[in-house]
Amino acid sequence: MKLILALMRKEFIQLRRDPRLVGFIIVMPIVLTTLFGFALKLEPDNVRMAYVDKDTSMFSNLIKTNIWSEGYFDLYEVDSVADIQNEIRLGRARAGLYIPGNFSAELSENNQPSVYLYIDGTMPSLATAMDNNSSAITDDAVTADMYFSDPDDPLIVIAQDPFNLEVETLFNPDKIETWFFLPGVVGILIMQVALILTSTTVVRERENNTLEQLLVSPMTRSQFILGKIIPYVIISLIDFYAILGFSWLVFDLPAPGSHAVLFLLAITYLAALISMGLAISTISQTQQQAIFLSIFVLIPSVLLSGFIFPIEAMPSYIRPVAYIIPFTYFVEIIRGILLKGNYFIELIPQFLALGAFACVFTLFSIFRFRKTLA
Amino acid sequence: MSNTIETRSLTRRFGDFIAVDGVDLSIHAGEVFGLLGPNAAGKSTIIRLLAGILRPSSGEASILSLDLFSQTEQIKRLIGYVAQYFALYPDLTVLENIAFYGGLYGVDDSNRLEQQLELYGLTGFKNRNAGLLSGGYKRRLAMACATTHDPELIFLDEPTAGIDPVTRKELWELFYQLSTSGKTLFVTTHYMEEAERCNRLAFLNHGRLVAQGTPAEIRASLTDQQVYSCEISHKPELTNALVNFPGIALVNQFGSELRIIASTRVSIDQLEQLISKYYSDSFQLIAVSPSIEDAFMSLTDQGAK
Repeated sequence: MKLILALMRKEFIQLRRDPRLVGFIIVMPIVLTTLFGFALKLEPDNVRMAYVDKDTSMFSNLIKTNIWSEGYFDLYEVDSVADIQNEIRLGRARAGLYIPGNFSAELSENNQPSVYLYIDGTMPSLATAMDNNSSAITDDAVTADMYFSDPDDPLIVIAQDPFNLEVETLFNPDKIETWFFLPGVVGILIMQVALILTSTTVVRERENNTLEQLLVSPMTRSQFILGKIIPYVIISLIDFYAILGFSWLVFDLPAPGSHAVLFLLAITYLAALISMGLAISTISQTQQQAIFLSIFVLIPSVLLSGFIFPIEAMPSYIRPVAYIIPFTYFVEIIRGILLKGNYFIELIPQFLALGAFACVFTLFSIFRFRKTLA
Repeated sequence: MSNTIETRSLTRRFGDFIAVDGVDLSIHAGEVFGLLGPNAAGKSTIIRLLAGILRPSSGEASILSLDLFSQTEQIKRLIGYVAQYFALYPDLTVLENIAFYGGLYGVDDSNRLEQQLELYGLTGFKNRNAGLLSGGYKRRLAMACATTHDPELIFLDEPTAGIDPVTRKELWELFYQLSTSGKTLFVTTHYMEEAERCNRLAFLNHGRLVAQGTPAEIRASLTDQQVYSCEISHKPELTNALVNFPGIALVNQFGSELRIIASTRVSIDQLEQLISKYYSDSFQLIAVSPSIEDAFMSLTDQGAK
């Protein structure tokens, strides 16, 4: 027992001598618990819904008001059904509502007219949640005002279900779960490989005492950083296509409309990740710290990116966090390419965001690397 | 400034701490120059300053007639640097290590790599992982890696620390070989016997240079002091009494030899009298010529006071 105590004491002393690591061990779980506790909900609210109301009657207004008062949807008007689909395709709306022009006429004829609800099928929990919430539209309580009674005999209710709700799931009509998740899983696996490999690479040179030897050579800082980045880009790229190829073969994942755009995504995403890994490497003193920091980045990236938990379900003050995560843009782009058939030009903002991450982290690494020599 | 290295009041501060304090060095082409000093004297800091990986706080320096401040990158191509710890990739083979470091300087000639293996006696190990080499061979490999680009000037930071005497002798033979072929070597060490092997040397203490010159010049620097030696066993009371005696600079016991460095004002009779108070047996106190170690001890002691 004494012997074990001696070893235990030494381990505690060593931990205490690495205040950064202690910080990570204690602060990381607290920060993440707080963040996830507030942020992670499956039930979305403020889901943007594009609508077309060709009827503009008391009844169509009633439907919109009911949807609005449920609190899940933010409604905004567009011109046509094609616009609704386009808004969803571009990710500006997650849902759409179409009320045809003859709605109130048909309703009064007791012909059970249809109202159309469109749902973005590329967002897993969002689609399910909206499916559930859409019942709000047809709830008895809601539709009660639409019941028509026979004016002569108020006890006879003419229609039990005054209108139909037709729900159409776009882009992943069968809601195949592997399609929801596989494109994102590719991104997570790549992130893990790229982050851990690169975040330890500079620190390892330092721990091996080889960094100093590199510094006395005529190699410049940019050469050093590039020489460090490129091999990992190549390795991760091979990994990326291996995982995707497997997903195409085994899980029938749809192929992209343009392989060039997919390749561009791979390159920009990897550049963002690897430069981020390098940035971690330049601020870590030991490989242990680097791995901890990588995980610190990895877990929130997955959970806060909208990959599983919809960004719309997060409180508004946490939502900005989702937009400083490269993975968020990766998920949007890859779902866009593989499931929605987005064109490159429609994804430029997301690509620019990834490119910006790569630039910022690369510059930061070069700057930090300079400082470590001073 | 035709000297290989020439510095004027070279200074490096870390916050309030002055690691290198106004150092003036002159190192001639083709010599093996030794920088000696106790641990933490600032030896490694000076090497890092001269190798261009640490910025001096103030002062001037020229290396191979290039300015250390403005021409750092040109200097880097012309120097080799063997760090105190083996800066090798343990998971790369001997040949891969040499090829990598050569590559950093644009050397990709396989004949040159073979030549390096041959010169440092590593040919037999070229496919062995560097991590599996013995301490002496790791040093050889580190030297091979640092010299593949054929530098004019080679810095060696404690190249023989922790190495057995036989291997140490072999390493020095390598240093001489390089020196004979026209290279300048800048070596730090805290082994006194190695000081005698240097063409010229300097003593560093608390970041300050306390002496510089050939071994003979250094020994002669104890001008107003005399070194005495006496075969006598260790007696703490005697050592105490000697240390407190005015005019005695340093008292050192080496096994059965007692070495005293005293001012020339102190006579040999005074010392004999003092010793006989604590030592009843017969003894013989003789005046000897100072060794490098005496000079070193005396100089660092003065620095401390």
